[in-house]
Amino acid sequence: MSAVKALNPKAEVARAQAALAVNISAARGLQDVLRTNLGPKGTMKMLVSGAGEIKLTKDGNVLLHEMQIQHPTASLIAKVATAQDDITGDGTTSNVLIIGELLKQADLYISEGLHPRIVTEGFEAAKEKALEVLEKVKVTKEMDRETLVDVARTSLRTKVHAELADILTEAVVDAVLAIRKPDEPIDLYMVEIMEMKHKSETETALIRGLVLDHGARHPDMKKRVEDAYILTCNVSLEYEKTEVSSGFFYKSAEEREKLVKAERKFIEDRVNKIIDLKKRVCGDSNKGFIVINQKGIDPFSLDALAKEGIVALRRAKRRNMERLTLACGGMAMNSVDDINADCLGHAGLVYEYVLGEEKFTFIEKCDNPRSVTLLIRGPNKHTLMQIKDAVRDGLRAVKNAIEDGCVVPGAGALEVAIADALVKHKPNVKGRAQFGVQAFADALLIIPKVLAQNSGYDPQETLVKVLAEYAESGQLIGVDLNTGEPMVPAAAGIWDNYNVKKQLLHSCTVIASNILLVDEIMRAGMSSLKG
Amino acid sequence: MFEAGGVPRAALTLQLGSYAGFVGAHWWNLQDAALRCESEVQEQERKICPDVLYRAGRTLSRQETYTPRLILMDLKGSLNSLKQEGCLYGDTKIDTSVAWQGNLMTHQEDPPAKNLFLQDLSKLEGGMSSDGGFSPRALPLSKDVSQLPTQLHVSQKGHQLEGSVRVWSDYLRVRLHPRSIFMIHQYNDDGESSQLEAFGQGESLLHDPTYLEELEDRLHFYVEECDYLQGFQILCDLNNGFSGVGAKVTELLHDEYSGRGILTWGLTPVIHNVGVSWKDFYRLMNTVLGIVHLSSHSSLFCPLSLNGSLGLKPEAPVTLPYVHYDASLNYHSSAILATALDTLSAPYRLHSSQFSMVQLADAFNSSGRKVVAAGTAVPFPMAYGQSLPDALCSYQLAVPWTPLSSCGEQKDSCCFAQSVVLRGIGKENHISNLPPGSQPKSALHVCETGEEVLGSYLHARCPGTFSTSYLIQGPCKVLPPYPQFFSALLNKQGFLLDKLPSCSTAVESIPVLTALQSSPALYSALYRLYKELHQVDVRRWASFFSAGIELYDFQEALHELRTLSQCYKTSSELDESEDEADTD
Repeated sequence: MSAVKALNPKAEVARAQAALAVNISAARGLQDVLRTNLGPKGTMKMLVSGAGEIKLTKDGNVLLHEMQIQHPTASLIAKVATAQDDITGDGTTSNVLIIGELLKQADLYISEGLHPRIVTEGFEAAKEKALEVLEKVKVTKEMDRETLVDVARTSLRTKVHAELADILTEAVVDAVLAIRKPDEPIDLYMVEIMEMKHKSETETALIRGLVLDHGARHPDMKKRVEDAYILTCNVSLEYEKTEVSSGFFYKSAEEREKLVKAERKFIEDRVNKIIDLKKRVCGDSNKGFIVINQKGIDPFSLDALAKEGIVALRRAKRRNMERLTLACGGMAMNSVDDINADCLGHAGLVYEYVLGEEKFTFIEKCDNPRSVTLLIRGPNKHTLMQIKDAVRDGLRAVKNAIEDGCVVPGAGALEVAIADALVKHKPNVKGRAQFGVQAFADALLIIPKVLAQNSGYDPQETLVKVLAEYAESGQLIGVDLNTGEPMVPAAAGIWDNYNVKKQLLHSCTVIASNILLVDEIMRAGMSSLKG
Repeated sequence: MFEAGGVPRAALTLQLGSYAGFVGAHWWNLQDAALRCESEVQEQERKICPDVLYRAGRTLSRQETYTPRLILMDLKGSLNSLKQEGCLYGDTKIDTSVAWQGNLMTHQEDPPAKNLFLQDLSKLEGGMSSDGGFSPRALPLSKDVSQLPTQLHVSQKGHQLEGSVRVWSDYLRVRLHPRSIFMIHQYNDDGESSQLEAFGQGESLLHDPTYLEELEDRLHFYVEECDYLQGFQILCDLNNGFSGVGAKVTELLHDEYSGRGILTWGLTPVIHNVGVSWKDFYRLMNTVLGIVHLSSHSSLFCPLSLNGSLGLKPEAPVTLPYVHYDASLNYHSSAILATALDTLSAPYRLHSSQFSMVQLADAFNSSGRKVVAAGTAVPFPMAYGQSLPDALCSYQLAVPWTPLSSCGEQKDSCCFAQSVVLRGIGKENHISNLPPGSQPKSALHVCETGEEVLGSYLHARCPGTFSTSYLIQGPCKVLPPYPQFFSALLNKQGFLLDKLPSCSTAVESIPVLTALQSSPALYSALYRLYKELHQVDVRRWASFFSAGIELYDFQEALHELRTLSQCYKTSSELDESEDEADTD
């Protein structure tokens, strides 16, 4: 009798075998949900809510976030898997699959009487070996554009259809290359992702500059300016009633009017300083002048600026201020007192695009943009979301590859190599922990098996062929999803991220071991244990 | 001349949390009812201007829309049949084209059952939504067309919605802009796992760049298009993790939009429970942290709740003389709060006046008194045909309003500052219509305008108080789905009858009186919250602190609450509470 029963007779308790069974069934359940997602031939899931909203995804991470997981074990696994995504940007589905499979394989031995502790020791030994293999097979090479394109394509082909994946691949790689600074970590925030519900998804493009989702608020301002100076500033150009000026502090109406005028004059002076600068730098040439202000600009100031041929955008987002100066050059000014020509950035083309009630301002043809925009287009909301998720993952994959300085062959090749090495390594492990090593090796093969299965091939048959080919050639061999035959992923340009795989090996082992070692589940005060 | 003369001084509304959603839904329904009835009302010099709260827009198919300038945050599962994107800007045809060539698997949730009100609404608006809601639910609402004319009175017969309202979207009749609904997918609305129950959780939600960027984008969308933004009104749940969300949101607004008014209403649903459990401590800690943080970042903070007190052991909810509401229904309690809010906010929503949120806040803010208490009379008790001086004369001893800020009745009605709004009294009844020559009954009967009557009444009741008063003619329209919980003694216009009428009529509009006070009662209310938490060792609720807030910060906040409460001390209270202060 469990101690908790004495304290709370309503508590539900599951012990030893029963506890393990509960946990394993949860892990397998999750695995069943996600297994059809894996790989470029996986199944896309369309989730339609009660109100008719559509969510389209194949990303394990997105799915896990959408599911309202109630089972505590399943939710634990889901949290680990989504944490994997937070850290590396990929590998959620693999994570869930491998954890489920590790538990399934371990269950075989445990049901024959092996203690879970021994199994976890075996897992630990296997993980060490697996990491060694990973180090051995990783390919360290210069991350040229071609390699990065391969990495991005491998990631994106699993999220969107091939034609779109190829478009996104180029865009994503060029975006990262544009913002990369030598010897500095890559800041993906410098890639703005902008959505436009318009045209078809294949018109998604990389804009070497910025797209702002607002436009000038004055009818007389030009909709298209070429060869323009850009003034980025954070200066209030609107008359606001400050606290001193509010109602009942005035002795008389005239005094109030006077103060209001004085304050208004203050704003006018600022506007005039900007106009002066415009006159100085543009002279009589037909160069344009754009003001992009983080604070507000009221109609009077807009009017004054418009009269001088200046295009002004107000209330720019804070995060775009840094991007603006990176894209166009110049400096973000916090006051107009000492503005001069050096503070100004430059763009070859600025134009406005109106879509319904929304306006977009494109700032393009920048000289040396260090911040770029991925403009996602799509005919409907769910396609936009799907592309956005894919683009995020693609960006992460490229960033990972550059920062790792190495890549790992994909298509299940790594898992096959590790499994093979583990089987060979098994005799070196002492005692019954060998079974744990064997279980680990078998569990990893779930990846090539599911890849084959999702493409419509027999998993066992494919696996045997791949293992044989690997043993024979000594090269890293993966599954060719178009033929079901073995192939060399390195030659086909299928590369995965090194750190995704490394993280995967670590987290799967830890979670599977933790779950195996649970020998009692208590639940007090809640409704049910079945899940 | 440089003032924003006729231009509406726009305000952006934020609703954070599910009870805020309940109140907000009623509030927007009231606005909608007022919009629909606009044509019926004749000249009104002091009219409420809908442009302050609404924005005009157009959809991709060039249809005009008129939607609330609103951002509302709620948890997964609170939308029921409402689409997150709303239905105004939806695609005209079903577009399920999919950018994928491989296998596709569809998981479809059953459309939720719609209650009678929602069924009627979709019928009236011509949306053929019987197929489960794939098609847009409604036609866009245009500002100038007198919307959906008399048909709507079909629904006048009234549905008993009491049983079928589970979430606020069950009775929302206003259609929202697609940028309004901001769902937090990390936490569930109900169920036992993933609840947003601690302040720290809410705070850390907005540390997450995806949520923060999304919020900034939405704020930007609404704010950028305003020529004259007067500020933000925030409805925020105090009892759960949303108090933390509110704290972060107000901080963001305070930093980003300096000089704008931020009016925050801290809402708490009616609490009913028996014993004190950990949940009550969570609620109390959220409330305290909420009050401290929200008041420090806002221009003005007002707790709103029907509870007798916000402390650990809730007192019985307040009673309103002519309203029989069911305290266990959020649908009922939120309706009262929304009605009060609609009138409280009227001064800064008027067409004519230059009065803005900042000025309203300024009137109260002296000596750090950023917290105010609200009171309301829903409906304002006035017999049919009675004049305002006569009605006010019967309240010589006690003020006619019921406190709505859970700070208890105060001994006298004196306070530091107050703003009183009375609406819905016809012009002919503003002043006493005694025959000339007869002896006036009181000083009120000699006043020449309604404003003067109200002003001198307040002056007599609360001498030495800085009072501002407003008299607005249009009543508060309470059309369905507003609950019909009024006393049978009220007639159609919400005035009192002497005896029970033979057949009961549905109340369509009511006169409302509200007061916003910076009152000494807040001292004891705030100090009590401080004492209740000061006495216990909060470390017992480790999970509250694991969610992000440090114990040190919490103690700091408690201390600030104490300082805040001291601002409301009057000299008479100084002596009696000196010993209390020493125990610290």
